[in-house]
Amino acid sequence: MNSTSRRHRRTACTGLALALPLAALAACGGGSGGGDTSAAAGSGKGTISVWAHQGQKSEDTALQNAVKSFNSSQSGIKVELKLIPGNDYTKTITATDASKLPDVMEFDGPTMANFVYNKKLAPIDSYVSAKTMSNATAASKAQGEIGGKHYGLGMYDSGLGIYGNKKLLDAAGVKYPTSLSDDWTAAEFTAALKALKAKDSDGKSLDVQENNGFATEWGTYGFAPVVWSAGGSLIKDGKAEGALDAPAVVSAMKTFQSWKTYVDPNTDGNAFAKGRVALSWVGHWMYPAYSKALGSDLVVLPLPDFGDGPKTGQGSWAWGIGANSKNGKAAGAFLDGLLGDTNVTAMTTANGAPPATKTALAASPLYKKGGPLELFAEQLAKPCGDSDITKSCVAVTRPVTAGYPTITAKFGDALNSIYGGADPKSALAKAARAIDQDFSDNDGYKIQ
Amino acid sequence: MKTVEPAHSVPSRRPESPPVTSVTTTRAGRTRNRDWLHGLLMSTPAVAGLIAFVGIPFGYAVVLSFYNVRLGSPLAPRFFGLEQYRRLFTDPDVSGPFLRALLNNLTFAVVVVPVQTGLALALAILLNRKLKAIGLFRSLFFMPVVFPMTLVAVVWRLILARSDQGLLNSALHAVSFGNWGAFDWLGDGATAMASIIVLSVWQGVGFQMVILLAGLQQIPGELYEAAELDRATRRQQFRHVTLPGIRGTLVFVAMLTSVLSFRVFDQVYVLIHGGGLDEDAARTVMYQAVTTAFDQNNIGQASAITVVFFLIVVALTLIQRRVVRPDNED
Amino acid sequence: MATTRAPLRRAADYTVLGVLAFIFVLPVLYLLLGSLKPSDEVLNGLTGFLPTHLSFDNYAHVLEALDSDSTGYFWRFMGVSLLIAFVVVTGGLFVNSMAAYGMSRLKWRGREAVFTLVLLLMLVPFESVAVPLFYLFNDQRDTLYIQAIPFIANAFSVYQFHTFFRSIPPSIEEAARLDGAGPWRTFFAIIVPMSKPVFASVAILTFLTQWGSFLWPVLMVSDPSVRPLPLEMSVFQGQQPPDWGQILAFGVLLVLPVLIVFAFFQRWFVQGVASSAVKG
Repeated sequence: MNSTSRRHRRTACTGLALALPLAALAACGGGSGGGDTSAAAGSGKGTISVWAHQGQKSEDTALQNAVKSFNSSQSGIKVELKLIPGNDYTKTITATDASKLPDVMEFDGPTMANFVYNKKLAPIDSYVSAKTMSNATAASKAQGEIGGKHYGLGMYDSGLGIYGNKKLLDAAGVKYPTSLSDDWTAAEFTAALKALKAKDSDGKSLDVQENNGFATEWGTYGFAPVVWSAGGSLIKDGKAEGALDAPAVVSAMKTFQSWKTYVDPNTDGNAFAKGRVALSWVGHWMYPAYSKALGSDLVVLPLPDFGDGPKTGQGSWAWGIGANSKNGKAAGAFLDGLLGDTNVTAMTTANGAPPATKTALAASPLYKKGGPLELFAEQLAKPCGDSDITKSCVAVTRPVTAGYPTITAKFGDALNSIYGGADPKSALAKAARAIDQDFSDNDGYKIQ
Repeated sequence: MKTVEPAHSVPSRRPESPPVTSVTTTRAGRTRNRDWLHGLLMSTPAVAGLIAFVGIPFGYAVVLSFYNVRLGSPLAPRFFGLEQYRRLFTDPDVSGPFLRALLNNLTFAVVVVPVQTGLALALAILLNRKLKAIGLFRSLFFMPVVFPMTLVAVVWRLILARSDQGLLNSALHAVSFGNWGAFDWLGDGATAMASIIVLSVWQGVGFQMVILLAGLQQIPGELYEAAELDRATRRQQFRHVTLPGIRGTLVFVAMLTSVLSFRVFDQVYVLIHGGGLDEDAARTVMYQAVTTAFDQNNIGQASAITVVFFLIVVALTLIQRRVVRPDNED
Repeated sequence: MATTRAPLRRAADYTVLGVLAFIFVLPVLYLLLGSLKPSDEVLNGLTGFLPTHLSFDNYAHVLEALDSDSTGYFWRFMGVSLLIAFVVVTGGLFVNSMAAYGMSRLKWRGREAVFTLVLLLMLVPFESVAVPLFYLFNDQRDTLYIQAIPFIANAFSVYQFHTFFRSIPPSIEEAARLDGAGPWRTFFAIIVPMSKPVFASVAILTFLTQWGSFLWPVLMVSDPSVRPLPLEMSVFQGQQPPDWGQILAFGVLLVLPVLIVFAFFQRWFVQGVASSAVKG
């Protein structure tokens, strides 16, 4: 559809909307960029627009530098970067019509399927070089793949675990795991909390980033591993009931709920760094601050095992090509540059994340063998994908489905209310019912 | 809560001013027949704007409530008939939160309207005196009004933080010599709504206070002098001079606060999503509508919530006006 | 009831007022002090309240975070907010007061019906129509005008003006008519100047509401060059761990223009209302 006819269509849509609302909605509603979502190849030259989320200042600077160096390294493509506040980023993309999206677009990993469903992302397979594609880690490729095509690759992945304060742990006589193979069970973890409480002035020795709020993506990212490690899952074969509210999951959530008495609300975010708590259940992003505060007293431990083996989260921001881009080739060239070693290393140095490219990961001082965050790399090296969760795999991808927004919203709500004291069985059952209802309302979110 | 009442409609002893029409036929005669045109012309821009940007979209929302519509979904909207409404009232997973939200809104209104209005009146009386720098004090009490509600929520989140680092908890700890420990003001179901009420009243009382202050200043001083001559006590003066004199303003202010109180949203959203506010105890109907629309992308359901809510508010407002009508010249 | 009081009484008054005002204003002080402290001291319980290590670092960081083409510029966000607020307020004062006058002081058939419609629309919260509006105007995203125009006509403002105008004695207009003035001139030359209090009150209320507007910009704006300021708050709120010092500093910057506007109008507002110019 060329642009003038699209413009006419736009005016017609507004007029239609005033006269016949539903007809307009059907013809003009949100995701209508045209049936075919492949981006046009274009000439490989010109100006391309890039959107990314505005996160930590260090990340933003790394990204801006990457753009600057790309622009100055060649004269055919000029990149214009726009940063959108991170908290509202996904909402903004959801609210933007596909035709107005940029050539290159960052997106939060789990939202990929939803954007493909809404025809906002184009497959990148034909535009990104084979070298880039093969250099991506398995986990990164899995996060961006649906229906046999790839829609995005990340500069970095994520790592989730429990940071420990060696001094405090030793003082309380707590035996903590040294690797994935001797991971502590949930019961052992509870015992550790009790032992730490005896030595802690306010009895609160655990931080779970309560200040972030659980009714947010942190809730799902940080605590879906509890569900997975108990043998359940957020959704199985398109149904949440039976998977999310399985008895083992309910009992795992009960255990989680019982830990609240040991949790420091951590409103100022400094509980672990200042030594108020001995354990912090959080992701890689806190490593820079924690290592600065604790130095050699910092240990990195796996999440407790609820029965089905240690499990952890995976996935983070990724880069894709807008469905209506006219310059797929140029967009792909930019992605190649962005995912090159220099930029990936700079970015992961800035945010402490595990690199999502094989070469950068191997060279990373933090994540290589013997490095301080080796555990995270080890976890990512045992990916489960999003549906086949076995006892031996560790890093689970959040469900790759267009209905993910509902799954994360309902799970977050359930987690929030469980943490607030609600009965886990009914909270999880409610969430499962709501998810199933939503899926049935949307015909299972099948991607057309 | 923001509301306003210009002083001029205060005195009930003032006869209602009828609209002006030219009845003379002399020099001014030629405008007589054209009043209707001028009235229409003057009203058109605002009314057209309201219809275009409020009326039509609301009608659209009503239509949407009969469909299963998703934000940005490629699926065509599917006619759902009354399904959204059925779910709203009978599906336990949907109606539970919705009815609880209605209850919360009601609780909020029933507490906030008298408390905020009463507090505003008390402050207005307190500030209605000729002290030097009284303007400064008035400004201080008005200051919170100037803060966007989202900012108010952020500041109060810190004050009410459940750790013993939170300002309120430490203050209580100090004042009670260590007997009162850290309490989860926002997260505890019993105090969650109260916390919202406190910060909402804090933000809104200043505006009402200024309006009531203006109303108080319209009461002629002679009435008080006459009352003093009659040896009326201060309480009697209050009951027989102040209250009647300010009645119109008071009723107006109370009514508007109650209408505005049904829109409570910003502070509830910010605090649930980032402050650990107990969702069940504090969710309001607008919170349900917005999260259903934008976090769950369920436009049809959100529209149904909105329509039902609008009808309830209209009904309540009508009842209020009927109850109040005999005394109110409104 | 404005009486003069004996000096002892006056001292007591000041004390009571002072204490009450102080308690009331504590959260504002907390905001201000918090913005001037290093972030990890903001939440130190009561001692978080005491001024130690005050500096403008947080403000510097806030401004630094918003200082490039890609992030947008702080002063530009501020400017966009001010511009939109200005348009909505002045447009609204003009359009809504005219409508209120037309409906309250001029007689024409259908007047009551139209006013009832306005009252009904006043009960519709913005959040209810945000989505339909979003669908209707989706092509106009990322413009300045779409952030302003839908808010110029405001039922609540019309209502406020209407209530005020109704209490003006008809003698004013009769006098004007006798002088040969038509309704338009009567309105602009006579009614408006004597309605300063309601104009000030509507202006303040509209400005405050518009300044804090958040939902509509989130839906309709992605381009930094037309983004208003409140949206940027989430830049600081999304950081982990939350940098409270910066968040509070941003809050202060957000509120500053509003405080200035209020300080300017306040004299008009409170004092002007007390004047009995119209009561005549």
